[in-house]
Amino acid sequence: MSTQKKRAFQIEAFKHRVVVDPKYAEKTWKVLEHAIHEIYNHNASGLSFEELYRNAYNMVLHKFGEKLYTGLVTTMTAHLKEISQSIESAQGEIFLDELNRKWVDHNKALQMIRDILMYMDRTFIPSNHKTPVHELGLNLWRDVVIHSSKTQARLLDTLLELVLRERNGEVINRGLMRNIIKMLMDLGLPVYQHDFEKHFLDVSANFYCCESQKFIETCDCGDYLKKAERRLNEELERVSHYLDPRSESKITNVVEKEMIESHMHTLVHMENSGLVSMLVDDKYEDLQRMYNLFRRVTAGLTIVKEVMTSFIRDTGKQLIMDPERLRDPVDFVQRLLDLKDKYDKVITMSFNNDKTFQNALNSSFEYFINLNARSPEFISLFVDDKLRRGLKGVGEEDVEIVLDKVMMLFRYLQEKDVFEKYYKQHLAKRLLSGKTISDDAERSLIVKLKTECGYQFTSKLEGMFTDMKTSHDTMQGFYAGQGTELGDGPTLSVQVLTTGSWPTQPSPPCNLPSEILGVCDRFRTYYLGTHNGRRLSWQTNMGTADLKATFGKGQKHELNVSTYQMCVLMLFNNVEQLTCKEIEQATAIPMSDLRRCLQSLACVKGKNVLRKEPMSKDIAEDDAFFFNDKFTSKFFKVKIGTVVAQRESEPENLETRQRVEEDRKPQIEAAIVRIMKSRRTLDHNNIVAEVTKQLQSRFLPNPVVIKKRIESLIEREFLERDKVDRKLYRYLA
Amino acid sequence: MKKEDTVKLISAEGFEFVVDKEAAMVSQTIHNMLTSPGSFAERQHGEVTFPEISTTILEKICQYFYWHLQFASGKETEFPIEPELTLELMMAANYLHT
Repeated sequence: MSTQKKRAFQIEAFKHRVVVDPKYAEKTWKVLEHAIHEIYNHNASGLSFEELYRNAYNMVLHKFGEKLYTGLVTTMTAHLKEISQSIESAQGEIFLDELNRKWVDHNKALQMIRDILMYMDRTFIPSNHKTPVHELGLNLWRDVVIHSSKTQARLLDTLLELVLRERNGEVINRGLMRNIIKMLMDLGLPVYQHDFEKHFLDVSANFYCCESQKFIETCDCGDYLKKAERRLNEELERVSHYLDPRSESKITNVVEKEMIESHMHTLVHMENSGLVSMLVDDKYEDLQRMYNLFRRVTAGLTIVKEVMTSFIRDTGKQLIMDPERLRDPVDFVQRLLDLKDKYDKVITMSFNNDKTFQNALNSSFEYFINLNARSPEFISLFVDDKLRRGLKGVGEEDVEIVLDKVMMLFRYLQEKDVFEKYYKQHLAKRLLSGKTISDDAERSLIVKLKTECGYQFTSKLEGMFTDMKTSHDTMQGFYAGQGTELGDGPTLSVQVLTTGSWPTQPSPPCNLPSEILGVCDRFRTYYLGTHNGRRLSWQTNMGTADLKATFGKGQKHELNVSTYQMCVLMLFNNVEQLTCKEIEQATAIPMSDLRRCLQSLACVKGKNVLRKEPMSKDIAEDDAFFFNDKFTSKFFKVKIGTVVAQRESEPENLETRQRVEEDRKPQIEAAIVRIMKSRRTLDHNNIVAEVTKQLQSRFLPNPVVIKKRIESLIEREFLERDKVDRKLYRYLA
Repeated sequence: MKKEDTVKLISAEGFEFVVDKEAAMVSQTIHNMLTSPGSFAERQHGEVTFPEISTTILEKICQYFYWHLQFASGKETEFPIEPELTLELMMAANYLHT
């Protein structure tokens, strides 16, 4: 009604009943008390709600609220005592059933009583700060029934026993469990926690402690983890079926702690089944299980990560240091890639692509790749091999994949400039011998290098490509202009290389056969005629030639040889026999190169266009060589490779190193000057740190070298030492 | 109208008002009376006797029930109350927890 606002007023008794009867309260209470008894005895159908409500209403209105309330407490307590006794006397299995049934009854009765006494709940209780009827009923139940000396312990034991039986594989009445646990929850969280959860957790901890001990002694790591996972799921299921959801984290914590955390180290290091053997045997499922379980405990993943890292480092180190492997760089790099692939797969399949694991993997690779100073060279050789022949018949996308993988290894390198050096050499060889298979692949790799290390890194490499292109155009111009005059002479193809862009070793030109010399001179005139102020010098150590040769029985072959080999073979057009010494004098080829070139002409089976006496593998200065008339081959074209030292020999290696060191000097100096220009004054340690940081993307400068560079800069008066603090440097100019 | 959906309210003088349960349950007291788990007599018979509420007032109350169902949310119309009924109506309202 619209009188709602006024309801707060104290209202006089409805229908001014004159209460003269002093026993009125007593009588009314009797009616209500009787009703409560009836309710507990399931006899409520005869009662009139209206009458009871009116009685309670009037009692409160007539200031007998206190009497009503205490009466209620007494009556209810009495009933609960009875109930408690009947529960206590329940034997064995039916104990919980009885408890549950009584609880349901009590709840129902309580609700009815609350409804009848609603007016008291509404007015008397808030103003007198009493416990509302429903809560009162629960509290009484808790104090009288649950906390009765006999029931309390028995209830706990029964519940824990049921849980234990379920853990041991028996089927229990989960519905009943759920109801009882719900009852404890209804009585308030503290009751649940104190009367059940606490003990439950203790018992569980004990149980899992024993069980894990047993398992760890009998099972291997994989089985153990399977068992632990199953237990964990069981507990989760248990929580979802009949425990409070808030217990979930607590019980899983217990399992994690007992089953995993306390045995973490044992598990990871378990012989023949621990982490290492899982990695070796590619047990992705087990690894994933381990990851998921160990993730749950603090420091779990750290241990896994550490063990994995040290294992990868060891494997990598073995691979890198294995002298067997060092003989075949391509295989070596392929193995590195395989290793990386393997662990990438482990991390994606089992470790949820965890970033920290990826980082660990990367740092391990970085660590061991740089252990071997020849890694840059080998990686470049691998690329060389792939671009020479390995990519034949492979789709464009696959090429990209291989190149991307190589780039990944490249990223691990600390001495990127060493790689650049080798890469340049190998690229030059590929370009000049026309052996590169796919221009696109070459360019794609250079683009990748450029994005990785910047323009500076690849400018020379790109210059090499440009040279190739201009040379091609120049040759076309040359033949277009002079084609007719050249007649039948040999065809010449010249690549004009920009000095500086190409890794040329200064080598004295050998004496070219007169046939060639003519064309060369023509080209020289042509080239210098079109380009003013340039100097041409012949790099005879880098060229190739195709020769047509007729052998003893008249069979013709086309020989694909290097320029040096051509010079040697041309000598045999006029003479039958030459010694090594004579050849050297006639051609002026450096002895070491000549040896290799003769070796490939005379000592390789199926390609021995020369005959050597004595027939030994090594070339001595006095050995005599003959044109091999009996040469046969099933191919028309015979390709005679030079016995190339694919890997550099020791002295060459040292030489390259030295050159790299030389090249680093100006870079370090430039970095120092750049830093000092902006800082003006800086102490020694900071300079070293900053220089290292700036050059990190290319190589790792040695502090000693940096110091030497600083000294040199001081000598040249770019820097000076501070007069007071000798550690401090000052930028001059 | 089905019998289960209605409830008979009987005044002190014995007048019977048959109203929808939905309407009667506007009163919290009647609501509890009809929904309390252990079936009380009122729930079984579908009748409630109010020996302390007069016919006039009970009629007004029934009117209010329906008015409430219709307008409670909007409250755009006033529920008309004759001044002479006000006091008794207020007391009944307190009793019925409306």
